[in-house]
Amino acid sequence: MSGSKCTRLAGPLVKQLLESVDTVLFDCDGVIWRGDQAIPGASQVINLLKERGKKVFFVTNNSTKTRKMYAEKMSAMGFNVTENEVFGTAYCCAAYLKTICKLEGKVYLVGSPAMRHELEAVGIQQTGVGPDHVSGKPIDWANVPLDPDVKAVVVGFDEHFSYTKLNRALQYLLQKDCLFVGTNRDTRLPLEGGKAVPGTGCLLQAVETAAQRQAQTVGKPNHFMFDCLAAQFGVERERCLMVGDRLDTDIMLGSNCGLKTLLTLTGVSTVAEAQKHQESGCAERQGMVPDYYVESIADLLPALQG
Amino acid sequence: MAGAFGFKGCQKIRGAQIRGLLEAKDFFLFDCDGVIWHGENAISGAAKVVNALIRRGKNVVFVTNNCTRPRENYMNKFTRLGFTEVMLEQIFSSSYCSALYLRDVVKVRGQVFVIGCEGLRRELLEAGIPCVEEADDPEATIYDCALAPDVKAVLVGHDDKLTFLKLAKASCYLRDPECLFLATDNDPWHPLSSGRILPGSGSLTAAIEVASGRKATVIGKPSRFMFECISSQFRGVDPAQCLMVGDRLETDMLFGFNCGLDTMLTLTGVSQIEEAQEYRDSEQTTNRSYVPDYVVDTIADFLPAFEEIEEQTD
Repeated sequence: MSGSKCTRLAGPLVKQLLESVDTVLFDCDGVIWRGDQAIPGASQVINLLKERGKKVFFVTNNSTKTRKMYAEKMSAMGFNVTENEVFGTAYCCAAYLKTICKLEGKVYLVGSPAMRHELEAVGIQQTGVGPDHVSGKPIDWANVPLDPDVKAVVVGFDEHFSYTKLNRALQYLLQKDCLFVGTNRDTRLPLEGGKAVPGTGCLLQAVETAAQRQAQTVGKPNHFMFDCLAAQFGVERERCLMVGDRLDTDIMLGSNCGLKTLLTLTGVSTVAEAQKHQESGCAERQGMVPDYYVESIADLLPALQG
Repeated sequence: MAGAFGFKGCQKIRGAQIRGLLEAKDFFLFDCDGVIWHGENAISGAAKVVNALIRRGKNVVFVTNNCTRPRENYMNKFTRLGFTEVMLEQIFSSSYCSALYLRDVVKVRGQVFVIGCEGLRRELLEAGIPCVEEADDPEATIYDCALAPDVKAVLVGHDDKLTFLKLAKASCYLRDPECLFLATDNDPWHPLSSGRILPGSGSLTAAIEVASGRKATVIGKPSRFMFECISSQFRGVDPAQCLMVGDRLETDMLFGFNCGLDTMLTLTGVSQIEEAQEYRDSEQTTNRSYVPDYVVDTIADFLPAFEEIEEQTD
């Protein structure tokens, strides 16, 4: 396991890898499910890992569900999971604002009811969730009334995104000392049923362009989600494996945090893309090269069952 | 292209220097917002300057990235604000030029999916370009929405009725590499006369660029296309005869630079002289393209030059 990367995980290597880690982190979309379809064998893998004494956590950039909603979805699919094992960006964003930013004041939220719920759970009030249609003339929009308690603009996935919301976010961000936080930069959001729509990254880019300011993002590949998890559960980095389907978020997170990384091919990225990064000679891109890859996480089953 | 009178970068000019410039140039391009008017108020002296240039036989055109109104509406505004010598043919908006681009350069066959205001759609329809109907389908959700057939281009402009659904549709259409991706302009924000700002077309275009993984072709300033439009309508324009007058370094001055025109920054709008000086003094050579050749406090500073010309001819 020294130096060589992007190795196909097969044969005795599987058991070797599993024995070298105590904690396994899984991305969700494209790794354990696609929309509302579980990846065949995924639930057995998760459940067996736990039976073998491994700690298992889920780390997802999808901000549309609370950790409770994720746990419910997982239970319905046969995964033996509890709420506190799930780290979604709705939960982590609230944690970030509370513990790192120590935010005192309200949030102007471009996001989902799930985000509102997670914010309220840590005592942060928000304004803005839901539809917000345009009315009046341009001069009215520039003079849109601003809540004086708002001290941060937070952007997550929002199917009610509109020009009006973009404008309100801009007006708040023009105020000195207003924080600017985004959940993640993923360009596409996978939906139930296998479709995909523009992701939070698009909405965030719109706000960043208008405000000529960059947001601090909480989601992968930023290390915050791992820090959040590690603070609660005492995880040893060298004995931790990150399993994901995206090189630029999951694998990058693993690299950023010094974890072992495993790419599964049931989602977005391909081995060819990983090899391109590897051959590029660019130091930054090496973080997107996984240690190992498998066709599907079901490939771990024989070693777990044996 | 340094000023012909030896003034390099950010030099304020007055009086005789302006007079010399007015005599040497015969094609004047003016931005509108922040140059000749602020919202509904003409800048003091601007109408006199424009009318005087036109009466003296100079070519005068207006080059604006504002894509929210059709040109007829602009004509009404020019008249209302005292610019009585201005004619429709002198007005070049990014919406009008987008229509010309689609009709004459692309020669589009098929529909265009437009994210923009009524003003933009009107310009397209007047040029005979079919736009996808902006029907308010109450059944449509982001999970399930009908796409129009035969969409050959997506055009993004300022849209105060932007919704997530429009973003989703645009990125679906753009999956076809044959479908063009155009933007009226890439201004990240627009100023209002009050000094406040609003999100610009550039912010909407950026969202769709991220969603589609593609870069838009920008019609408006600082891209050259609007100058090409002007040039073809006036049957050839010599850049050396031109002066571009604007208030925004990253739009107007860069546009002038890209087209090989002399540029003049007026300080009645967005950019401050300090910003121009910063670009001038910057180590990055690419920043030089934002630096104006000349600077005036307001275009009303041209007025004394006219009086002198008049005195001379008496």
